[in-house]
Amino acid sequence: MKKDADQPVIMPHAYDGIQEYDQSLPNWWLCTLFASIAFAFGYWAYWFHSGVGSDDRVALDAELAALEARQLAAVKDLDEATLWKMSRNPSTVAEGQAVYASLCFSCHGPTMAGIKGVGFRLNDDLWVHGNTGMAVFRNINEGVVFDGKPTGMASQKALGTGRIAAVTAYLLSFQKEGQMKAIERTKEPSQLTP
Amino acid sequence: MTSNRGPIRESVTTIGRDGERRFLHPAIVVGAWWRARRLVAWLLIAFFALLPWVDVGGFPAVFLDVEHRRFHLLGATLGLGDVWLLFFVITGWCFLIYATTALLGRIWCGWTCPQTVYLEHVFRVVDRLFEGDHVSRAKLDAAAWSRPAKFLRRGGRALAYLILCWVVAHIFLAYFISIPGLYPMITAAPQAHPAAFVAMAVATGLLFFNFWWFREQLCLILCPYGRLQSALIDDDSVIVGYDEKRGEPRGKAAPGITAGDCVDCRRCVQVCPTGIDIRQGLQMECVACTSCVDACDDVMTKLKRPTGLVRYASLRELAGGRTRFLRPRTILYSALLTVGLIVATVSLLRVQPAGFKLSRPPQTELYVVSADSVANVFRAKIQNKDDVPRRFFVEAEASPTKLSVLNQSAGLVIAPQAEVTLPLTLLVDRRDYRGEFNFTLRLRSDDGKVSVLQKAHFIGPAPSTLAR
Repeated sequence: MKKDADQPVIMPHAYDGIQEYDQSLPNWWLCTLFASIAFAFGYWAYWFHSGVGSDDRVALDAELAALEARQLAAVKDLDEATLWKMSRNPSTVAEGQAVYASLCFSCHGPTMAGIKGVGFRLNDDLWVHGNTGMAVFRNINEGVVFDGKPTGMASQKALGTGRIAAVTAYLLSFQKEGQMKAIERTKEPSQLTP
Repeated sequence: MTSNRGPIRESVTTIGRDGERRFLHPAIVVGAWWRARRLVAWLLIAFFALLPWVDVGGFPAVFLDVEHRRFHLLGATLGLGDVWLLFFVITGWCFLIYATTALLGRIWCGWTCPQTVYLEHVFRVVDRLFEGDHVSRAKLDAAAWSRPAKFLRRGGRALAYLILCWVVAHIFLAYFISIPGLYPMITAAPQAHPAAFVAMAVATGLLFFNFWWFREQLCLILCPYGRLQSALIDDDSVIVGYDEKRGEPRGKAAPGITAGDCVDCRRCVQVCPTGIDIRQGLQMECVACTSCVDACDDVMTKLKRPTGLVRYASLRELAGGRTRFLRPRTILYSALLTVGLIVATVSLLRVQPAGFKLSRPPQTELYVVSADSVANVFRAKIQNKDDVPRRFFVEAEASPTKLSVLNQSAGLVIAPQAEVTLPLTLLVDRRDYRGEFNFTLRLRSDDGKVSVLQKAHFIGPAPSTLAR
């Protein structure tokens, strides 16, 4: 074959009779290889050695901790007097009523009369799991554990402190301060009636 | 390194011996195919630019709202939960391309691919405008930068490219932000919407790099479809091919020398945007743009010889046979395409304007037994995907035991595009209770437009423990 500047060079080896051209990769293609190697060093330095980029888990933990701190601060500011004051504020009560109508009604009934075997009556003055505003708030916020077992009343933390306080205020708006009466909860499911 | 002999099959013309890039300056030839392609290109560009302005049912016809994770397609609104439909869209697209490739070769590349459409019909027009025809472009390439003519022409061209890329990037962005969302961003300062601004700047930069420098390298090296050609095309696929039987031997006929119709004018090589010589047969680089067809037809007409020395033809036809369109692969691809189309259409039509998911609330008792009933509490996630508020009801649909859903008679109004989590209490009368069972709940709307079923399992104690 005639030697030509444009004819590609054939490698000297042959495997199973197959020969190979000695062609160059495009330079831009090689650049992507070198660039990714350079990037890897930068990435490694940034995330593991610079102290600037933090671990995903660390970032998540920090964010969760901040969220919890905010919630705790909000809960800490709440006290019995504030809850009762909220329960006499029409706009807070209206907000609480909306939460009740979207969530609580399904177990405690649309008129708060309770549902037999599912949810306690909430429109009388008898309270099983604590007879204070703060107790009601805690029950909604953390859920109710009875006899060491979780009950149908699960934690509603996802609502956020504000809306839990509002729905507590809504419940308290039917009560008079200092006149909530405590009663015993019995173990028998059949007596778990409103 | 450049040779006078032109392209060879063994090497890529645009990549030099040492891997350096060689820039092509293809000539433009105006012919019947070119006119048809330019018309198609303009229609496609107009379609792309105008589609975001078209409203269907209160939303742009195509609006991929990434920010809110909602996808508006021709009046239908899809949520993230409907992403599985993408499977049928992608496979349908693939089989459509497979079928057309098996039948007509790289018709997609030459006529409709955005890379070809914008490169050939927008950016090469700009090239010609600022730097003249292929001869003066090559001259300008070789000229020194110290010459003001080069600086002005190339600078002007770069500026025009930048503006065009900037416009295309904005149109592209409109598909994700919508025109009403995009306009205030354009008029506001960049720092007001940093993410959108960066997306626009990056898109502009990538487009500029692609059309200014990268060009045919995308088709030759990056495009996966381009690399699949050898598997998709067979001897009966219609490709752009050179009629060797008619053309060879090349050159001028003279007494004692017989010659074919090819006069070896090299016009086909001059116009090729990927730098190949079509007379060397079907090659990986060919995007079937038909420039060489127009070029050769032009020459043949001038020589008063029949056109079609380079033409759309299958390898079998060029070898003297007849193209078979009905072949196992075309039948198979078309059958799979049809199946995909049917499934995609049916499932798209069955997409509900609401979502309904059931789960059990965490940290609660699985069931509650009272004097009269057994209760299970579920957490229902109801999503109104539509653009109007709707009243939803949850009902027990198929259940072996009489099952009542508490407090659902009034229904629940959910605002457009809103999602509500709602506890559902399901009661079974103790007298009816015969152990755990599976049941189905139906979410329906008062206007009858929604009907979603969800299966669930009712948990309870062994019936014997309930005996009185």
